[in-house]
Amino acid sequence: MKKSVMQSAFLRSKLFWAIVAQLLILLVGFILRPDFLSIQLRTLSDGTTVLYGTPIDILNRASEITIIAMGMTLVIALGGTDISVGALVAVSGAIALKFLRWDVLVYNTPGDYTVQPFILVLLLPLLACTLMGLFNGMLIGKLKLQPIIATLILMVGGRGIAQIVTNGKQFTTQYSPFKFIGNGSILGIPLPIIITLLVILLVSLFVRRTSYGMFVESVGINPSASRVSGLRSDTIIIIAYVLTGFLSGISGLIYSSRISSNDSNNAGLGYEMDAILAVVIGGTSMTGGKFSLFGTVIGSLIIRTITTLVLYFGIVSEAIMAFKALIIAVVIVLQSEPVRNAIAKRRDRKRLLMGGEARV
Amino acid sequence: MKGMEITFPGVKALDKVDFSLRKGEVHALLGENGAGKSTLIKVLTGVHRMDAGTMLLEGKPIRPANTLEAQRLGISTVYQEVNLCPNLTVAENIFIGRQPMRRGQIDWKTINRRAHELMLKMGMDIDVTLPLATYSIAIQQMASIARAVDINAKILILDEPTSSLDENEVKNLFAVMRELKAQGLGIIFITHFLDQVYEISDRLTVLRNGRLVGEYLARDISKLELVTSMIGKDINEIYNLQKATQKEGAPVVLKAEGIGISGKVEDISLHVKQGELVGFAGLLGSGRTETAEMLFGVVSTQKGDVSMHDKALALKAPLDAIRSKMAFCPEDRKRDGIIGDLSIRENIALAIQATRGFMSPLPKAEQQELADRYIKLLSIATPDAEKKVGELSGGNQQKVILARWMATNPDLLILDEPTRGIDVGAKAEIQRLMLEMCEEGRGIIFISSEMDEIIRCSNRIIVMRDLKKAAEVDGSCTQADILAIIAGEGAEEEAV
Repeated sequence: MKKSVMQSAFLRSKLFWAIVAQLLILLVGFILRPDFLSIQLRTLSDGTTVLYGTPIDILNRASEITIIAMGMTLVIALGGTDISVGALVAVSGAIALKFLRWDVLVYNTPGDYTVQPFILVLLLPLLACTLMGLFNGMLIGKLKLQPIIATLILMVGGRGIAQIVTNGKQFTTQYSPFKFIGNGSILGIPLPIIITLLVILLVSLFVRRTSYGMFVESVGINPSASRVSGLRSDTIIIIAYVLTGFLSGISGLIYSSRISSNDSNNAGLGYEMDAILAVVIGGTSMTGGKFSLFGTVIGSLIIRTITTLVLYFGIVSEAIMAFKALIIAVVIVLQSEPVRNAIAKRRDRKRLLMGGEARV
Repeated sequence: MKGMEITFPGVKALDKVDFSLRKGEVHALLGENGAGKSTLIKVLTGVHRMDAGTMLLEGKPIRPANTLEAQRLGISTVYQEVNLCPNLTVAENIFIGRQPMRRGQIDWKTINRRAHELMLKMGMDIDVTLPLATYSIAIQQMASIARAVDINAKILILDEPTSSLDENEVKNLFAVMRELKAQGLGIIFITHFLDQVYEISDRLTVLRNGRLVGEYLARDISKLELVTSMIGKDINEIYNLQKATQKEGAPVVLKAEGIGISGKVEDISLHVKQGELVGFAGLLGSGRTETAEMLFGVVSTQKGDVSMHDKALALKAPLDAIRSKMAFCPEDRKRDGIIGDLSIRENIALAIQATRGFMSPLPKAEQQELADRYIKLLSIATPDAEKKVGELSGGNQQKVILARWMATNPDLLILDEPTRGIDVGAKAEIQRLMLEMCEEGRGIIFISSEMDEIIRCSNRIIVMRDLKKAAEVDGSCTQADILAIIAGEGAEEEAV
């Protein structure tokens, strides 16, 4: 009896429908092109073997959004939002490339060296993004600004900062350790996937092994009662935005490594919306409260699978955005409360009619 | 309705309940919070569906799928909070959704005339073209009833209709109810006020824990029997409470001197000794809650000092108060108390966890043990500790908040209206708990609007009036003494 209650609750959950949607999209891909789901080992020209295939590509390319969305989940669970993440991706890439090519006057020649210790090239962008996250967090946690307004500042300003750092120039690099971040692989698995898995693992541990996750949910559900119970919501809020800033920095490094360049205008463009969408599809409500990191991962994969599917079937590039929006609309309607309840009810009634053990 | 059953996750909300309403009677539906009254109503009005059982209306089986369908069948409900549109006129509210038309246009004349007639029948001679919000709750309620009756209701459900009415308004409402009864309507009347039950109802049905206790004729059952059947225990046993014993020379736990916020509460001084229960009496808005919030750091004080165990405190946030072993059950349980979507376990562990910081989490096994202990100790009605607090009844939610604070092992508890809006049984349990905690040597500040419970429990009573401390009296005083002070009649500052 209790089991069937839980089953029914799961059927009504957004997460369940997110998983269904993901499987359906994959199925559509598989029906149209049976090789859509195939994974092979392929040997590259330099002798390394990598896993190859659309599923791997989806996982790989979902990295940037998934990493940011981990932080975004906490921000949204607190009832906030962070629309500066895309700009922070650009800042991260700009700083990394600036430090790689500090000496260069002829910036358009590819260089295969770094003029700074490589560790600094990685740490400085992360530090900068973390500080920007702190800036967001202070505005929202301490000054109680509305999150969308507070993060709008860096959404606009971030790309400006990226322009200033690079003097409005686009640098390229051929320095292989840097290129390895976005393009390399370990044991055949692309490095971005490994980084993403690490981020998911660490954030999950941080959130569930400490009481941080419970505090986030508590403040997200009822800020006033949380305060009376002794929670310091400002600290909790600041941590979420700092983490999101830091993760945007990682995402920026992966992105700029993939293109071996910085691009202040286009790096991370639209990432904020994809990250927010991933969180929402994953079942976390925009009004705050209970959250699910696993759901967010599924949400992010759905978005990437749709993009891949659209690209894979060679839909004219002008139509890609509209097509993507169409599929997302279907997913979200599937997840809406009336539809979920209707389907769960129907199933319950069916089992009742068949004399099954459902007594809910 | 026969053998109705409805189940919610984990709890049987109604278990084989029979209920029948005859034409032309007022039938009171009674039971404590969580007994299943609202569930029964929601089944009747199509909000919930039955899992088993049948519902017959004039001999025909019905199964309304939503409130609109129920309304069409002739079942109308008037809720505690009036659910009309306050910015529309009274007439518009009565006829909304079924406006009489004339030549393709809304016939305002007819609407206003008929609305006026309807209200007149209810004994209300008012201007029906004014917005609903310009009138008192009582009149809004009448408009709501007028609408229901005019839709040709056969069954009228009144859910706590009298809780925000004054005496005259109640009388008027009852007159209307008698009138409707005479017209052959069946009225279901839900209330917490037992006197009103006897005044107006013909029959009554008592529910307890989702089960039917019995159906009685109102004139056949005494008040004492009724209360006993509602709570399942003898009321005298419940109210057999003993005040905390005072030890000579017990040390002072909490001391406040001249605390205040300009324009709000001024110059309050008080102290609480170990094992002492200090009651805060006074009218709503007399500064009781504000004082409690200052003591706990919910709002910051501008003047004066607070000390615990002779150590001065710098109260910037509730956390500072919690760290110096204070606890606070706030007045507004929904807004400042429960975290609705979190489980009972998480809600109980929250305050302890807050003092530890999130980096040193209480192990889940310990949280579980803590939750199980308090569920048992406070007899919180729940299948397990993982149930969401928001799904509990008011009394049980209050117990969870009490558990949250008891778990921090406080030296001083401030309880602001801990018994408001909860039923007789839970009320007595909470009072007994307070007194037990006093016996354990904790100091308690108890705020309540109910004079008799203040007098029943307190060792000392501080009376507030007009945002100031009016007097401090001994716990053995009478209700009349306190009322005199509240009314400001001659009582001078009186030291104890």
